[in-house]
Amino acid sequence: MPVIIDWTSAFLLGSCMVGIIRIIIGPTSADRLTALNLVGSQVIALLVVTAFRAGSPVYLDVAMVYSVFGFLGVLAITRYLSKRSNSK
Amino acid sequence: MSIVIIGTFGAIMIAAAIFAIYSQNILSAIISAGVISLLASIIYILLAAPDVAMTEAAIGSGLTTVVFLLALRRIQVNQAEKEDGSAEEVIDD
Repeated sequence: MPVIIDWTSAFLLGSCMVGIIRIIIGPTSADRLTALNLVGSQVIALLVVTAFRAGSPVYLDVAMVYSVFGFLGVLAITRYLSKRSNSK
Repeated sequence: MSIVIIGTFGAIMIAAAIFAIYSQNILSAIISAGVISLLASIIYILLAAPDVAMTEAAIGSGLTTVVFLLALRRIQVNQAEKEDGSAEEVIDD
């Protein structure tokens, strides 16, 4: 079982790096926003895997709090982008 | 494994910070700051500080993005009014 956890962590880490490359080189802000959403989901999964490895359910609270507030941040950026495209 | 994760995320945080400083688009800089807070939250978890990580995820990655976007929208509204020629009223407010 620890082998599976290690491989899952490595896979999530690699996909996080791919998403962050898209955040850095993304041409427009919408690309960066979508990549931020993707990286946020993978980070939540990585938090859950870390909580399982550490064996303490306290770490799951962090994943829950980030899933709420990360969605709030993505929603704010999306509203900003839509209002800016409406005003043009 | 956690050493690998901490090293990788630390390097990515440095790259994102440099990008946030030198980016010309302010919205991209705000998104990059959100990435920095998110990865800092992961590093806090791996260093066995879950309460600090929870505060970082709530305030650093959630509320700071919203506050920065509100400030950015207000700055751009002020600039649009200044282009219309009513800059004195905005400054007096």
